[in-house]
Amino acid sequence: MSSTTNTFNPIPSFTFHLRVSSLPKFSPRLGQAVITRPVHRTGDEAEKIEISTPGIICSTTRGVIEHLSRDHVKKTCSIKWVHVPFESFLQIDPPVPTRQDGSNPLHRFLGYSPSQHLLSLSLRDPADVRDMPANGNLFVAAQSSRGTRKVPPQAYRSYAAATMPDIVFSMPDVSFTPPPHSQKRINKSIERSTRWLASLLAPLNLVSSPVEPNSEHAATATNILPRFNVFLHMVGGIKEAARSAFASSLKEPLDVKESHVAQLETLDDGVSGYVFDLAPLRLALLAEQPRSLQSVLAAAASVYRPTDDSITHSFVSLVHASLQDLSAEKPRLVNTALSPHEMLVLIRDAGIDLFDTFWAQQAATWGFALDFRFPVRTENLLSHGDSPGQKQLGINIFDGRFATDFGRLAEHLMDRLEYSKHNSDLSEEDALGHATFCTCAACSPTWANDPLIHSSVDERTVPSEEEPAPPYTRAYIHHLLHTHEMSAHSLLAMHNITVMNAFMRGIRSILQYEPDRFSDEVARFQETYDGTLKALDDAKLCWAEVNLARGKGRIAREREASKSVEGLHKDSSSIDCEF
Amino acid sequence: MQFEVLAQCSTTRARVSRMVMAHGTTLLPTFMPVATQAAIKGLTYQQMEDLGVTLILNNTYHLNLRPGIKVLKEAGGAHKFQGWRKNLLTVLIPKFFSDSGGFQLVSLSKFTKITEEGALFASPFTGEPTLLTPEESIAIQHTIGADIIMQLDDVVPSLTTGPRVEEAMWRSVRWLDRCITQHKKNNHDNQNLFAIIQGGLDNKLRDICLDEMIKRKDSVNGYAIGGLSGGEAKAQCASKLPEDRPRYSMGIGFAEDLLVCVALGVDMADCVFPTRTARFGVALTLRGPLNLRLNKYVQDLDPIDRDCPCPTCQSGTSRAFLHHNIGIETAAAHAVTQHNIVFQAKLMGGVRDAILNDTFPSFLHDFFREYYSGGSYPRWIVDALNTVGVNLLEGIKEVRVIDGSGANWDYAN
Repeated sequence: MSSTTNTFNPIPSFTFHLRVSSLPKFSPRLGQAVITRPVHRTGDEAEKIEISTPGIICSTTRGVIEHLSRDHVKKTCSIKWVHVPFESFLQIDPPVPTRQDGSNPLHRFLGYSPSQHLLSLSLRDPADVRDMPANGNLFVAAQSSRGTRKVPPQAYRSYAAATMPDIVFSMPDVSFTPPPHSQKRINKSIERSTRWLASLLAPLNLVSSPVEPNSEHAATATNILPRFNVFLHMVGGIKEAARSAFASSLKEPLDVKESHVAQLETLDDGVSGYVFDLAPLRLALLAEQPRSLQSVLAAAASVYRPTDDSITHSFVSLVHASLQDLSAEKPRLVNTALSPHEMLVLIRDAGIDLFDTFWAQQAATWGFALDFRFPVRTENLLSHGDSPGQKQLGINIFDGRFATDFGRLAEHLMDRLEYSKHNSDLSEEDALGHATFCTCAACSPTWANDPLIHSSVDERTVPSEEEPAPPYTRAYIHHLLHTHEMSAHSLLAMHNITVMNAFMRGIRSILQYEPDRFSDEVARFQETYDGTLKALDDAKLCWAEVNLARGKGRIAREREASKSVEGLHKDSSSIDCEF
Repeated sequence: MQFEVLAQCSTTRARVSRMVMAHGTTLLPTFMPVATQAAIKGLTYQQMEDLGVTLILNNTYHLNLRPGIKVLKEAGGAHKFQGWRKNLLTVLIPKFFSDSGGFQLVSLSKFTKITEEGALFASPFTGEPTLLTPEESIAIQHTIGADIIMQLDDVVPSLTTGPRVEEAMWRSVRWLDRCITQHKKNNHDNQNLFAIIQGGLDNKLRDICLDEMIKRKDSVNGYAIGGLSGGEAKAQCASKLPEDRPRYSMGIGFAEDLLVCVALGVDMADCVFPTRTARFGVALTLRGPLNLRLNKYVQDLDPIDRDCPCPTCQSGTSRAFLHHNIGIETAAAHAVTQHNIVFQAKLMGGVRDAILNDTFPSFLHDFFREYYSGGSYPRWIVDALNTVGVNLLEGIKEVRVIDGSGANWDYAN
């Protein structure tokens, strides 16, 4: 692995503090995760990124937050922690991001801002549950864009060292061959994951440092060997005993002579956080259900839809088994929770701190705009044309009823224009930390009033309205979705991520100011909102239809259709997707 | 519309002018990106404004189908519906043939039947017939509320010959009169009507059409020339158009075509090419296009163009990154789209400055030398520019003049 490509790659320091450390181990808690980037020159102010927990992590595919160009990522201040699976880059060797030079190579290659974004790296995409070839003793099977690749732990470590993400997730042995998995297989998983963690925790041999020998950082450089900030995938599948066994192995005292993990008493000492990927667990739990139930549960979008409460409670038990004997002070991260209901239960019963927004981003692709608040507001309980009973967590904008709806996306979160009419102070959160309005570029678009000027005669004048811009309307986005226009998804992605961030703000506010009410508020939320997300299923079907009619390959499909049928008349579907 | 010519090139027929309309000022010559279905594909209108664009195009035919005039009316017009606050131009029907580099739009011709009353369309989606009359076309454009609206014309593909061409020409003149009448009703002074010169490749017919439509100059705010069909016809056409009206050439998007048109006196052009080719992974540069799907870019960590002010290049987006994601992630399409829009806008900005400084001929020399750095100049460009006093071959030693369109491609090597 070339050491000349990176001239300055100090690892940022990562800390996590609980606001109150004396709480029961798995109760909901407030925390603060902080990344501090080392200074390039003594006297420079260190860049810090602070993330309050419970909080969100944005998912990426192929390094990109889906549908968002770099300027949109920058504009969406809800985006702070971004998770990057590395496997898509494995198509060529060495992977292209490892050739990026300069500081913060992963940020630089992918276009994230070191001052704004915290990047974490894993090998595999936590949302990818496709069947894979088996892992081996010395490698994980990963999915590049051109087929599977065998990735040994040393290779993964070298990718991390070359790209310098802020946080590196361990490379676990999780099997994606069809479940169920035998006890023997789970034991192997524990043994391999432990061994591979050890290699990741070995100190890094950083070639150069820009800091002057007599500066305060020089002391750091010589006395403490730098290592990655490692978050550990908690393995053991759906077997609590296996999870406990894994935790035990982490706490075994290390042989001092094991030089590759010098300066650590146990492996757990080198771990900065704990990760739980729900997707493979969901599959494994589904596989345990009686056959008849399996087909029902697996029907609607399978691992892309929350299943039922019993599965969420199983997740809670598994987290307990993994963390019972480990420190409560380290952050707990869950990937692919599929609804706010699941997240609330995991916060309430397992003290989870961080969630990825996979489901919300997926919803944006399917034309579903999130529209909910926590805690539930009494005005939300008024029926807005919904049938009595539970409200949906959002709206399927494909639905014909939005064709002339000129309101903004989320009824329950104001837009800046409306908020400005009743408030002179446009701060984005109120005194208790709740979001005041949806700051996304769809609900609260802002004119920069600083366009590129292309010639000396071009005028700098911009239209003079001082008012905030009006929100993009449901009618317009409905139109965009039906005409297969990509901007619909950009707007929805920014919106959904922002709603998720507002959701977390509401949770933090209750935990801070009225922690005793948290359980009741969770119950109220569960009563108010339908957690099965049926409306999301509808959206997915509508999206698939439009995609078929207007997406890639449609000209060939139309030609086929016009050969066999007179004209191009479409037959109606059972869902009210207006054409 | 306030229209003012600011400067005239002393060699060619190019000029810099300013158009002030209800939604602001647009400097000409300019290129108009196409927002066919009320969106520039992949981008929001905040992004569009940031790129320095002041005039975009919507397609009435598409908007009439989706979302439909009823929705647009309820929204208060197309500006409010889509959220664009600067200038808007509507065209009626997507043309069948675009001579700029072989991009053929999906043909609607098998669904269209023209009568004196209007154009009868069978909707490709429902099969239902709709009659579009000149009056109706203006009424729809009034509802849409664009700053520049077009007459309904009887368009024939530019390669057609025979009596149909003359029939279409005269009908277009008659339809222009009907459009003017409809336009003058109901006080729509803030919207500007453009006439469309017809006549195919027949110079005599084009001249007649020109004379007739220029007679109506006081009721018309600008003139469009439908379809590029070689420099010759363009030259004839633009030279006879009145100086005090903007000239719009429809369906021109390639850089070389734009520059020739400007030299012949054209002020504005539209085309789907730059934005469409972006989505297919082709980034436009002064040295020709980069086809980012080619393997030669897989490890290329340079941006598309270090000197480009677009958000993509300014954030250092590498060719390797785009290669990895183009065609797979919409975000990559957006990035190249932003770049190509800025490329076109910056090119035309350079044109405006050059005309203003009366250095347009040397601008042309410099551009083509870099653009055709392989040393092969297309004959049609050399000939067309000669008609306006610019000899591209002057002072260059090693140059070949070749036949064909001269379209620049990026090869795999």
